[in-house]
This record gives sequence, structure tokens and C-alpha cells, in this order.
Amino acid sequence: MTLILQTIVDGLVLGGLYSLAAIGFSLIFGVMNVVNLSHGIIVLIGSYLSYILWRTLGIDPLLSIPLVMVALFGFGYVYQRGLIQLAVDRSSLLASMLVTFGVALMLRNVLVLIFSPDFKSITPSWAFNFFVIGPITVDLVRISALAASLVLLCLLALVLGYTHMGRVIRATAQQDLAARLCGVNARHVYGLTFGVSAAFAGASGAILGIVLPFSPPDEAHWTINAFVVVTLGGVGSPSGALIGGLLLGLISTATSQAIGPAFPNAMMFLILVIMLLVRPAGLLGNAFSGSR
Amino acid sequence: MMMAGGTLPGMLAQGIAAHRGWIALALAALVLLALAPLYLSPFHVRVAQLFLLSAALAIAWSLLGGFAGYWSFGHTAFIGLGAFVAGLVETGWTWPSPALAFAVGLLAGALACALLAGLIAYPILRLRGIYFAIAMLGVAQVLGELNNSIDAFKGTMGIVLPQLAPRAVEPATFYYYLLLVAAAVTLAIGFAVKVSRLGYGLLSIREDEDTARMLGVPTERYKIQTFVLSAVLTGVLGIIYAHSLGFITAGSVYRTDFSLNMIVYALLGGMGTLIGPVIGAGIMVVLTQIVLGRLLDTHMFITGALLVILVMLAPRGIVGFVKPILARWRGGFR
Amino acid sequence: MNAPLLRVAGVTKRFRGVVAVNDVSLDVPAGSICGLIGPNGAGKSSLFNLITGYLPLTAGEIWFAGRRIDGMDTHLIAEAGIARGFQIAKPFPELSVLDNVRMGALFGRAGPRDVAAATEGALALTGLADLADRPAMTLTVGYLRRLELARAIAQRPVLLLADEPCAGLNPTETEEIVGILRQVRDRGVTILLVEHDMRAVMSVSDRIFVLDAGSKIAEGAPAEVARDPRVIAAYLGAPEAAG
Repeated sequence: MTLILQTIVDGLVLGGLYSLAAIGFSLIFGVMNVVNLSHGIIVLIGSYLSYILWRTLGIDPLLSIPLVMVALFGFGYVYQRGLIQLAVDRSSLLASMLVTFGVALMLRNVLVLIFSPDFKSITPSWAFNFFVIGPITVDLVRISALAASLVLLCLLALVLGYTHMGRVIRATAQQDLAARLCGVNARHVYGLTFGVSAAFAGASGAILGIVLPFSPPDEAHWTINAFVVVTLGGVGSPSGALIGGLLLGLISTATSQAIGPAFPNAMMFLILVIMLLVRPAGLLGNAFSGSR
Repeated sequence: MMMAGGTLPGMLAQGIAAHRGWIALALAALVLLALAPLYLSPFHVRVAQLFLLSAALAIAWSLLGGFAGYWSFGHTAFIGLGAFVAGLVETGWTWPSPALAFAVGLLAGALACALLAGLIAYPILRLRGIYFAIAMLGVAQVLGELNNSIDAFKGTMGIVLPQLAPRAVEPATFYYYLLLVAAAVTLAIGFAVKVSRLGYGLLSIREDEDTARMLGVPTERYKIQTFVLSAVLTGVLGIIYAHSLGFITAGSVYRTDFSLNMIVYALLGGMGTLIGPVIGAGIMVVLTQIVLGRLLDTHMFITGALLVILVMLAPRGIVGFVKPILARWRGGFR
Repeated sequence: MNAPLLRVAGVTKRFRGVVAVNDVSLDVPAGSICGLIGPNGAGKSSLFNLITGYLPLTAGEIWFAGRRIDGMDTHLIAEAGIARGFQIAKPFPELSVLDNVRMGALFGRAGPRDVAAATEGALALTGLADLADRPAMTLTVGYLRRLELARAIAQRPVLLLADEPCAGLNPTETEEIVGILRQVRDRGVTILLVEHDMRAVMSVSDRIFVLDAGSKIAEGAPAEVARDPRVIAAYLGAPEAAG
């Protein structure tokens, strides 16, 4: 019983992180149908930025989140306007996916050159505090990671729901042409969406840094995770990402607990493939119309 | 394939007649390549070996990806599956000779690939575009991880494959010729598909699957047949590759970069053509092995940059880039 | 008279409660050109989708040349001899005109030896022979319509379903298409034609069926149908006064 509870708590912590890491991927997919294979590397850039700020200036990783987000927002905007949009215009969506893959390879190489391929981790001074609730042990790091993930997801939901930028992004996602006819500058919106996406990916990277060790080759893992989350939860909405992420977290921890630590990835992909086949609309049932 | 159209021999004959120039070119290249080990250094023979493997893999991928427009991101599943089934069969029993072991292994590996492809074909080929691509990536990952994690499959421990090369022959040269044969056969099969009803049907599927069905193209059957064919060819190439390595682990045959490279070669050369994947493989292998061979640190960066530049500058590949120029040139002389 | 080539018997199609085609029956005699007309949304294209097996029926039966074809796979129905030209021309954009037409011949009823002949015949009949090497996506609307017809003709169909082959064409082009249709019929192909251009459809058809809101409201020779008050009401949008 205790084991099950502990598994659930661990799964939720991991799941919160997955949700936050996936939301940007989901937005880009929902708004412009681009599968951003460089999403995982952006998550890791967030981790490394936070790592630098912590090592050189001693900034607490949770406090560095806003800085990381601002920096990556700019990066995302420029990346979309300067490269992705050109690729989509000149070629096809599938080919634009290859461009994002190429960028992922380049950035991964850069990270390896700067930081070495070894694992890094961020350990703030409060990292070793933990508390015990009944039979379950929760360390402060994990609980703050979960809290930060949830707060940021809520923040994004608010931005999308109640700000002008959010409304324009949602309108473009639903009806590209109609939004353009209403005078929305679609390219600017795409840029903003990429910016928001990169900002939240970076935030998840900063949080990930305090929970797990990270290294450049992990990027593929985070990209694929994002895809699975989106497949589970549906495209383009924070609530979908939250449900997909939490489920994935629970499935991962439960699989490694019940079958063995080598199997969560295989299980994840099995679920991905099955979900694509039986319920391409995601559990919540929106979007994914293009899959068949 | 014979099932694909009772008319295959007739169309094949027509196809050969219509492509005489290309066939002559291919035969000339075959002769040149067959003589290559006589005048190339051992290092360059290995590069040429990699080129043959890459070109053949890219053609096998192209049957489905280039002709029918179903881009698989997980074809390495068949390289790994073929290699491991062959390896397990060849080392699990004692065979009278390495050649016999290889023959049985080849058959078993090819059969396994056909079975897997046949089993997943119907559901997975209902997905289109990005979703098919990612689902195949998923298939490759699941297979690779299972192979790695289940001890009976020896993915972590590895398998030492029997040495096929006779004593008198340098192994690198031996595998060079084996791959040359495999690549020639793959190209010939690709050609037979391209000029057949099946080939045209695949093209119509790539262009517009619903309209194709309305025209009487048996789209489901064609997709499944081609998927299985592509899987078997990829598997056979994987098995030969595994033997040329001599020792395999799951990590050495289930490799995402294999899956990716097949796409890159086809895209670089020209999607939907047969010469495209060959040109693409040639350029990339020469570039990565000879030019960038010394830049190990930045290898990945340069590959990524090439990919980006490629899609931006020549989205239709080198064939798509050169063809209009060639046509103008020809027009000028007629 | 012989049994009809195509018999649609009591066919109904519902989409989530909306009735697109309601208990429609019609017989298309072999060797004729039949017009299928009706206001927008009357169910004409839906009926074509049902005949070609693109959508499953909710109720009813469809018989073609003595075989029941509802429930058969789309490509098998095509093989049986029903070709369709789309309302919005759907050529294979990257392929040449020649390859587009050849695709019809390859998968149609021309034998393997006749593929070239069927292709050339269709190109000549539609006046596309000179444009054979052009990529389909570079054609103008008028020529796209011809290509759509050419591909269907190359299939050597028994029955040609033509969905608005004249939409968006000027009177001269419309005349030319009508001429092509007549020639196709003279070669023994039966044609079921959906068309909005009344002059064209009235002039070319032997028999006309009128659909409105999913139901057949009239059928007969063109002149009879044109006088039918229900048809006039349907087209003018008058309340259902006539009976």
C-alpha cells in the first residue's frame, strides 16, 4: 500500500514535469501543425541556462525561471520567423520537421562542446530537506517541482484564456484563414506561439534540473515524451497536456516499479502507438483530425 | 510483387525499353564498383562498402517513403530485428558450415521482418503523414528497448556472428561484394516496382490516396505489399551489415540515425526517384567519412546544418534541382 | 426494354441524424446520358459518393450491370466499370497530364496491352494530346476539367459519373465539354451527369432526375421535367405549394 502511494506521488511529480515540458510542443502542433523535433533541446537549454545562473551567480533555480523564460521567448520568436516559417513556405510540413531535427542535432552538439556529454545536476541549498506525511517521504525538491509545474501551467491557461495574445493564438489555431481575414498577422502569431512554447519548455528545463540529472543526449527523450503527452491528452490545450503528462508520469513510474526499470520507455511507445491507432483524437478528443 | 499485377513481365519489358539509358548507366556503375577493390585502398573500400549499404537502405526505404509518400521514421526496426533474429538463429544451433548458417539466418531474419511488417501493416498504414512517421518511430523504439532489456534476446550482452569470409579473402572485400550484390538486387527490385502497375499505384497514393481508390487502385493491398517488401529488403541489408560488423548489440543495430539517414539520402537526392537515394547516399557518405572524418567533435553539428541547408535550398533534392537544367540543356540541342 | 445498367433502389444516407439522401430510386438505362439535377445540397454529390462506395449506405441497394455493388470496396466498384470525375477537379498535381491519364488506363478496364491505346485515345478525345508533358498543376481550370474527364475515359468505364464537368467554364468551353460527353456516349459509355448549367444538361440528357433536399421529386424527359411545377418550386425556393 505504501509502495503504491509512493509510486503515485513519484508519478505525479514526474507527470507535472512532463506536462509542462510538453505544453509548448502541443501549442506549436495545434497552432501551426509543425512537429518541433527541436523541442527537447529547448527544454535542455532551459536546464543549462538555469545551471549557469546557479553556478556563476548563485541564483536559486526556481528564481531563475523567469529569466530563462524571457531569454527563450526571444529565442523561440526569432527561430520561428527566421527559420521554421521559411522551411514551411519553401517546402512541406514534413520537411520542416527535418529542419527542426537538424537544429536539434546542431544545438545538441553545441551543448556537448560547452558542457561535455556528462550528466549535470542543480542542487540548491534546500535540496536535501524532506518531509514525511504518514508513510510517504516527499523531499522538498520534488514537491516544489510539482508546485512550480502546476503554477506555470495555470499561468499559461490564464494567458491563453484572458490576454489578447492568448485569444489571437487560439483563434489562429482554430481557423487560420478566418483569423487572417480578421486582420491577424498570422506570421507574427506563429512567432509568438513559438516564443511562448520555448519559454515554457525552458521553464520546465529549469525545474527538471533540480529533480533529475541531465545531459545533452536526453533531448530526444524529452521531444518524444512531449509527443506521447500530446497523443494521450490531445493537442493544443493546457488541460490536455496536464492530463497526458500526469498519466505518462504515473505509467512510467508504475512500469518501472512493476515490470522493471528498463521498461518505461518501451511501455511509453507501446501506449503511443496504440493511442495513435485506436484514439487519434487523444483522451479528451480534440484535434488530431489530420491523422487519417 | 507478382501478385501486384499479372501484367508485370509485359510492363517490365516496356520499362526496360523505356529506360535503356539508365540501365546501361547502372550496369556500367556496377562494373566499375565490382573492380573498385582492385584500385582502392582498404580505407576507401570500407567507405565504398558504407556507400553501398546506405544507398541500398535508402532505396528500400524509398519504396514506401518515396513512391507512396509514407515516410517511416523507424525503419531501423527492421535492421535490428533482421540482425538479431539471424544472429540468434545462427548462434543458437550448430550448423555444418557458416554459409549454411548464414542462409538460414537470412531466411529467418527476412521472415521475421515480413511477419512484423505484415502484422502491423493494416493498422499502422491507416495513419497518414506525421502520425505514420511517429508511430514507426515508436515501433522501432519499443522493439529496440525490448531487445535490449529481455536477456534471452542478448541485446545487451551482444552476439558474435559467424565469420562468413573464406580464409583467403579479406573480410572487408568479401562484405563489399556481398553488399554490392545486395544493393544491385535492391535497385533491380526498386526498378521493377517503379515501372509496374504497383509503382504507378504507389505514386497515385502519394499524390491523393482517396482519388487513387476511386480510380480503382487497390490502395490498402498496395501499401501493405510495399511495406512488407520494404521491410524485408531493409532486414536483409541489416543482416549483411550485422555480419560485416561481426559483433552486434541492440545499440549497434537499432539506431535512430539509421532511420534518419535513409530519409536524408532520399530527400537529398530526390524523393520518389531511384537515382536520388543513390546520389544522396554517395554525397553524404563521402562528405561524412572523408571530408568530415577528422572533425569528430562537430560531426553532429555539421550533419544538422547540412540537413537544414538541404531542406531550405533544394527541397526537391538534387534530382529536382538538376532535372529542369538538364531538360533545358537537352532542349537547346534538339 | 432491357434491365437498367445502374439501379439505385430506395437508397438512404443519414449523417448523424441529417438525411442527405432520402429513399432515392432511379434507373439509368444502358447507353443513355442521364442528368441528375437539383439545388445545392440536394444530395447529388452524396449520391455519387454512395454509388462509388466512398460512403456506406444507411439503407437501400445499388445494382450495377446485374451485380449488387453497395458495400463493395471503392476500388472494386471502379474495377467493375464505374468511373467518376470530381466536382472539384482532383488531378495528381505533380504528375504530367500523360501520367495522370495513364493512371486511369492502368487501373481501368483496358487490358495491359491496351494501356497506351486507352491513354492516347482519351487524350485525343479531350484535346489534351499537345499538353501531355505538362505537369497537371500548371493547367487552367478549363483544361483541368478535360483532364478529369480524360482520366475517367481512359479507365474505359461502362458508366461515367460526371460531377459538374462544366462548373466555372464559359459557354464555349461548356459546349466543348458537352461535345466530349456526346462522343463518349456514342462509344457506348453510359453517363450519369450532375450539372448546374441547365442549358447544357437539358440539351445533352436523354432523361433527367431531380433531387431536392435528399429526395427525388421528379424524373422524365428534359422537356417534361422543365415544366414540372415541383421542380420549378424547388429551384425558385417557393413554398411547397405544388403537388
